[in-house]
Amino acid sequence: MTKTKSTNRHIKETVAVHTILTILAVIWLIPIAWLVVTAFSAYDGMDTSRFFPKVWSLKQFGRVLFRSDNVVQFPRWFLNTLIIAIFTMLISTMFVLMTAYAMSCMRFKGRKVLMNIGVMLQLFPGFLSMIAIYFILKSVNLTNSHLGMILVYSGSSALGYLIAKGFFDTIPDSLREAAYLEGASEARVFFQIVLPLSKPIIVYTVISSFLAPWTDFIFAKIILNSGLSKDWTVAIGLYNMLERSLLPEYFTRFCAGGILVGIPIGILFIIMQKFYVEGITGGAVKG
Amino acid sequence: MADMTQIAEKKANPVGLFFKAIGNYFKKFGTAVANGDASVKLSLIVCGAGYWRRKQIIRGILVTFLEIGVIAYTALIGVGYISKLPSLGTVQQEVVYNPDTMKNELNDYDNSLLILLFGSISLVMIIVALIAWMSNEITVYNLQKDAEAGKHINTFRDDLHDLLNKKFHITLLFFPILGIIVFNIFPLIVMIAVAFTNYDRKHMPPAFLFHWVGLKNFKSLFSNSLTMTFGYSFGKILAWTLLWAVLATATTYIGGIILSLLINFKYTRFKKMWRTLFVITIAIPQFVTLLMMRNFYADTGIVNTFLQKIGFVGFLKNIGLISTNYIPFLTSPGWAKFSIVMINIWVGVPYLMLITTGVLLNIPADLKESAMIDGANKFQIFQHITMPYMLFITGPYLVTQFTGNINNFNVIYLLTNNFYTTTDQKLAASSGQEVDLLVTWLFRLTSDKYNYKMASVIGICVFVICTVFTLLAFNFLIKGDREETFR
Repeated sequence: MTKTKSTNRHIKETVAVHTILTILAVIWLIPIAWLVVTAFSAYDGMDTSRFFPKVWSLKQFGRVLFRSDNVVQFPRWFLNTLIIAIFTMLISTMFVLMTAYAMSCMRFKGRKVLMNIGVMLQLFPGFLSMIAIYFILKSVNLTNSHLGMILVYSGSSALGYLIAKGFFDTIPDSLREAAYLEGASEARVFFQIVLPLSKPIIVYTVISSFLAPWTDFIFAKIILNSGLSKDWTVAIGLYNMLERSLLPEYFTRFCAGGILVGIPIGILFIIMQKFYVEGITGGAVKG
Repeated sequence: MADMTQIAEKKANPVGLFFKAIGNYFKKFGTAVANGDASVKLSLIVCGAGYWRRKQIIRGILVTFLEIGVIAYTALIGVGYISKLPSLGTVQQEVVYNPDTMKNELNDYDNSLLILLFGSISLVMIIVALIAWMSNEITVYNLQKDAEAGKHINTFRDDLHDLLNKKFHITLLFFPILGIIVFNIFPLIVMIAVAFTNYDRKHMPPAFLFHWVGLKNFKSLFSNSLTMTFGYSFGKILAWTLLWAVLATATTYIGGIILSLLINFKYTRFKKMWRTLFVITIAIPQFVTLLMMRNFYADTGIVNTFLQKIGFVGFLKNIGLISTNYIPFLTSPGWAKFSIVMINIWVGVPYLMLITTGVLLNIPADLKESAMIDGANKFQIFQHITMPYMLFITGPYLVTQFTGNINNFNVIYLLTNNFYTTTDQKLAASSGQEVDLLVTWLFRLTSDKYNYKMASVIGICVFVICTVFTLLAFNFLIKGDREETFR
């Protein structure tokens, strides 16, 4: 008797949970679905009278990819962003891992002070200093250039060392001490013991620093201010397509472009998410 | 009570220690100068001298070259800028006729911003150089003592070896810290300094000069008059910023926990599929999803068209919630604030779901089981085991999330820029909007109005708010350093 009662309750609960999840999933996915179906529309502007396009077509993708005009130069933006992203990734990853190792595995005078300064620096709103960075870059003629953007994204990237440090903190001391006893230098311990054990955090750092230039648009907007479409990154390019005067002509192309960058970035993000969780919970959670 | 005094003692100590350390440093320098031999004394002028005396030839040469470089920079460039720092320049740009070339040319004018920029950079560099010079003296004296005690003196090769070993942190940190100094600290110094000048649209270099004005800008941030509405705007925008930070943090946190509880419910099928469905929404770059959202909810957007068709808009109009023929999701103050919080839930909940899922799965099972044996029901378990554990793990994240929301530029800017227009004249006069956060206001002031002085003042306010909050949170909510817990 009691058994059937509790089974009944379980069924009810299960049905309720699945219903709620379905409703939530629909709410979360409708805007994304709209983005996707709109990208396949033959109509250029925003059609608000219907959810699905009147005429389906691949034409917007073709125009974004192969027919550049002075507003949309998607391949060029993609290349710009890719170059910036690759160099940012290399420099940032090096900076972050080096800083994290020094702060986590070594003990030296002033370590705590440096860490506290690092925390404090991050409490300033980032683009306050951006204005000054703009003038510094301008005085050496680096605005509107790839090198300038790379420096902006990777210059102070070491401040983001905390997640990697949290990971290094979990590597047992005994491993490193054994190596010291055998006469290994600190540099060797870093390269041959700690780094090989840190693949997850290296993957995380590589991907997250690679993604930064793709998703940021505010720094890019300040530094790449020439107004020439060919200088832009994907983010500002797409943002510009939704200017009020351009929207009627470019909205579906915006959707197509958004999907084109969204797919590679989305895949990288999904690879990265596991490490993201580990990092934030301070290594207390092992995926 | 005892706790309080302990905290107070802890607080007092660092400051005391700091001054003591500085005192010790000068004392060491004094002893080095007084007790050093001729070569050590000569190092005050030629920095490499002390090293040459101990046969560290290459090190001595490197140090001396560095010294020459610093002196040359200071003499040739630094002094010029630093001497103009107090006035920030006196010669305004003018077009003058040059009889030699027979053309109109620009005179040799001062650029206040460059003076501020390079002046402060040079000033910092000179201070650093002075400290380095004193440290060098102490190092050279220590070398002398080592030599007298008959200890091993490092050769250049030993020094290089040290840089990969005992002093590896110097090698590791040199470039990262250089990057932070150039791209974070210098710009911050300059922008903080701008808050004490009158750098705005009417004083834009290179055509015009700007000057120091002391605390005037801070006064105008809190003053309110017919011509000056910054006080009014600041109060309104600060209130909304704080309300937003609380709402955004709380709603996404609670929403994330609820969603992950649903997904990880014992009888939920296809857990992984559900998780992926929600992750898709955050995998697409935010600027794409947010820009799309604002068109989705536009006055003439698809949601409004749909709601008009089913008669919902008419219903809202009848009960007096709206006075237009559409729902002003992102265009009227009240609705916009509501929609922004809702859209932020849409953006933020999947992140929190990921994190809380990780934490939920890791709650030690025996804790729950023993509670169950003791007769606790589901809700009690959630209240006494799940939540405390969750808060313990995610506490630091919540704090950063809160300050992150105070600075949440993307959501507000992408949803409202060029889309929302304020009707409040007083706000508009200081180029603010009801939906602005302090940071978006700051950005608007610089990009639309070139009002750098007020933007810097607001930036400093944001920093003060975030600092106070972080210190309070870390000192009272989250205690202890977990650095070595997992070793």
